[in-house]
Order: sequence, then C-alpha cells, then structure tokens
Amino acid sequence: MSGAVKNTLAKPLPTPDGDSQALWDGFKNGELLLQHCDDCGHVQYYQQGMCRLCQSTKLRHKAASGKGTIYSYSVVYRAPGPAFKDDVPYAVLLVQLEEGPRMISSLVGKNFNGLDFDVAVKLTTAAISDEISLPYFELID
Amino acid sequence: MAIVGVGQSPTGRVPGRSPLDLTAEATLNALADANMDKSEIDGVLTGNAFASSFHRFSVALSEYLNIQPSYSNTLQVSGATAGAAVNTAAAAIHAGLADTVLVACGDSLLTGMTPDMAIRAMTESRDQQYEMPFGIPVANTFAMTAHRHMKEYGTTSEQMAQVAVTFREHASRTPGAQKTELITVDDVINSKMVTSPYHKLDCSLISDGAAALILTSAERALDYTDTPIYILGGGEYYSHEHIFLMPELTQTGAVQSAQKAYDMAGISANDIDVAGIYDCFTGTVLMMLEDLGFCKKGESGAFVEDGQITYGGKIPTNTHGGMLSYAHPGIPAAWFHFAEVVRQLRGSCGERQVKNAELGIVHTLGAGFSTQATTILGTGSTR
Repeated sequence: MSGAVKNTLAKPLPTPDGDSQALWDGFKNGELLLQHCDDCGHVQYYQQGMCRLCQSTKLRHKAASGKGTIYSYSVVYRAPGPAFKDDVPYAVLLVQLEEGPRMISSLVGKNFNGLDFDVAVKLTTAAISDEISLPYFELID
Repeated sequence: MAIVGVGQSPTGRVPGRSPLDLTAEATLNALADANMDKSEIDGVLTGNAFASSFHRFSVALSEYLNIQPSYSNTLQVSGATAGAAVNTAAAAIHAGLADTVLVACGDSLLTGMTPDMAIRAMTESRDQQYEMPFGIPVANTFAMTAHRHMKEYGTTSEQMAQVAVTFREHASRTPGAQKTELITVDDVINSKMVTSPYHKLDCSLISDGAAALILTSAERALDYTDTPIYILGGGEYYSHEHIFLMPELTQTGAVQSAQKAYDMAGISANDIDVAGIYDCFTGTVLMMLEDLGFCKKGESGAFVEDGQITYGGKIPTNTHGGMLSYAHPGIPAAWFHFAEVVRQLRGSCGERQVKNAELGIVHTLGAGFSTQATTILGTGSTR
C-alpha cells in the first residue's frame, strides 16, 4: 500500500448517524439529497430529524440539481494535519446551491484558473471507501 | 462584580511545563496581585487545554492547588470561552453561587504538542461529517469570511496586513511578548500563504502560557485592592455551528453580543477608551471593528490604515500585541486580552498606557464566528 493511500485512509471519514445515513447513501449513488419540508417549504442540506425552521417532521429527500455557485473559497497551502499534506494546495469551497442551502466541499483538481466568487460549479462524487463517497465540485466551463 | 486580581505564567516558548502547572502559576500570581489567600476562592471556571488529558480542567486545577470550591465548571465555546467564563463568573457571584471566582486557563500548544497536533486539535473542532472530510481547518472558516469581505467591500490584503503590523508595534513595548521585531505590510504580504487570503503573518502565533483573573463582588472588591476593575456589562451570541449555516459571512453575532453588553452597561461603542479584540486572524479584527460599532460596515480597512486602532486613534486595540504577536496558547489566548485591558484601566501599563482609559471592552469569539462573548469593564469612576 502506498504512502498516499495510507494518508487517504488516515483522513477523517464521516461516520453516518441516524440523521445523516440517507445523505451518505445518496452520495454513493452520485446524488446530493436535500431535505424538503412539506409544511413550510424550507430546504436544508444539514440532515435533521426535523425541519430546522418549523420543526415539522414531514421532510422528504429530493435529489439536488448539483448546480451551484461559489459563495466563498480559500485555497489551503498549509495542511491541517498529516492526512492532508499530500493534497495541498487545494481549494475549499462554500457552495451556494441552486435550491438555497450552502455546503462545504472542495474543488476537484489543482487548476485554480477560473476559481472566483459567484462562478458556476457542478457536483461530482468520488468513492473514498466502500461505505463513503464524498461530494466535490468542479468548475463549469 | 469586579476583577481584583490578574496573573500570568511565562508565555511564548515555555518548555517542560504542563498546562496545569502554567495555570497554577498564573493563579498564584493573580492571588498575590489581589493580596488574597487561596482559601478565599470558592468558585473555579476554566477552559480546557489541548495539551492536557483532563476533561474537567477546572476540577483538576483545584486539586493541583489543593482548593475545594463549591462552584466549578470547564467551559467550551472555543475562542469565546474567556469572555463567556468572565460573564458566567460574574453571574455566579450575582446569583450567590460563589463569592470569589478564579477564572483561569493555560495550555502548552507550542512545546506540549507538535505543530501538527496543535493544528489537528484546532481542526477537530469542525464537523466530522460535513466539514472535516474536505480538509477544512478552523483557519479556513475565518479565511472564507475575510475573503467574502474583500469581495463585498473591496477590503485589501494590505489593509488586513496593517492589523498585524500595528499589533506587532504594540508587542514591541510589551515585556514577555513572543514576537517583538517590527514588521511591514510587505513582510505580511510576502510571508507564505497558509489559507488564502491569509498569509503566515496574518495568522496568530502558537504559544505556551496561562493567565488567571480573580472576580468578586463589588462590595468585597475594596477589601483586596484600591483599583478594582468593574464588570459593567456582558453579552453573548451563538448564531450557528456550521460555517455553511452562518447567516451572512461578513456580519457576525458580535453585533448582538456587543449590543447586549452595551445596553447592560448603559454605554455605546463611542464611550470606550481601550479594546481587547480576539485576533486569531487579521481580517477577524477588521470585521469585529465593524460589528462592535467602532466603524461602519465595510470601512474597517480604511479605519485601520488611518491609525484608528493604535495610540491617538479612535480605539487603541490589543495594546499588548494580541494573539498575532503577544501569545496564542489556544483557548487561554483571550485571557491575555482581559489581563491587558484590566491593566490599562488600572493605569499600570507604563510606556504602553492609553491615556485616561476608563472604559474598556473585551470581545472574544471562536469557531468561525460561531461563538461570541463581550464584556465591558470600567474603573471606579464609571460606575
């Protein structure tokens, strides 16, 4: 096993819980599942057992379009711990999803040309382990 | 309520000392400053230490000092812990839970852990499912707010750098400061990029050190000192946990936190003579100058370039040098802001004294602006 793979395994992998299992199952299928509230219409990315605005439990998962824009970003040059040392530099993104919520992700690749506020990005997913696929974004040309 | 004792351990690079040992030394110095015996302490509030294995640091500290308080807690609201602990101590005294509360914190981020461990410790305060898999250090959350501030208001890297330059100049007058060599805006901008837009010199230090404050009721305060520094108001605000659920990246809960403190004290930002503002990053200070009401939204860059956060300016800030130049041992860092503002209000700062300082503010914050705590302090004449 190469050092790079070992480092990947050492990264903090999400452990799905009762609130979030569906989201992580969705990413394995290449889908970003947002929770839509049947009572007030609120759309949320952070998965909860109840609507964050009205506390209704009538939530339905719907796949997001995967389209968004970059609300803010920061390119990391100093890795936050050994697990990310081989990855720097990488761009962390705060993505404004078309459906309303924002989410943290990172940019695919190291080509930062075109990386800017408000530019369009689209979702992609990548398997990190048998159980976990992570959502990433790429710039739309 | 009043602060009657302030003490510190050595700060900066202090090898071979545990966080408990540093905090105990700071406590003994605070007791000496208050002319107080340790038996007077019946309340203990602390933050936690990354380089210590204790989950109940306040309880471990009491054992270390062989005191048995009737009120104790170890608070965790990240960088806002200092302000929250002072506010909570004042409330506990007001409520009769304790008469005299030790508010102390110490850590050895620099020599007690490797740099990677230190950064990792900070990193692990981010959400394990939604943030951390993407390699987002807490620095990155602050960086994204500053970046958006640049986009919305035209704030420049040079303006952010001026914060670091100013605080370094302040630190050059402060005994015990970790970094005292003067720097220029170019030095900051030419230092290595850490997480854009922040360069190395836009980021706070990594240090060892501890500080302690002793609070008691206003009635008892004069038994210990001729110059109690009174707690006139406190406010806090907790607007979100995740950076992606922060309502606006460029306006923070410091607005609400400060307003509550100002209202309690019956003052406004214009009345304040000296400030201690949590300065984990340069851009953080800019946004706080706006949200605390010292300048208008979007105008902090020019405000700092105009010299308004140093001597002769509107609000001399972090006259000890702050976390950017004095010391940043993690959670304890903002205890030094309290120590400095108390000393300014006592008039005991020597060559770095702000003239006629009677009202001070300490604002602490943490976790990508998730946590905010404000405290208003004043001399006897302000009561």
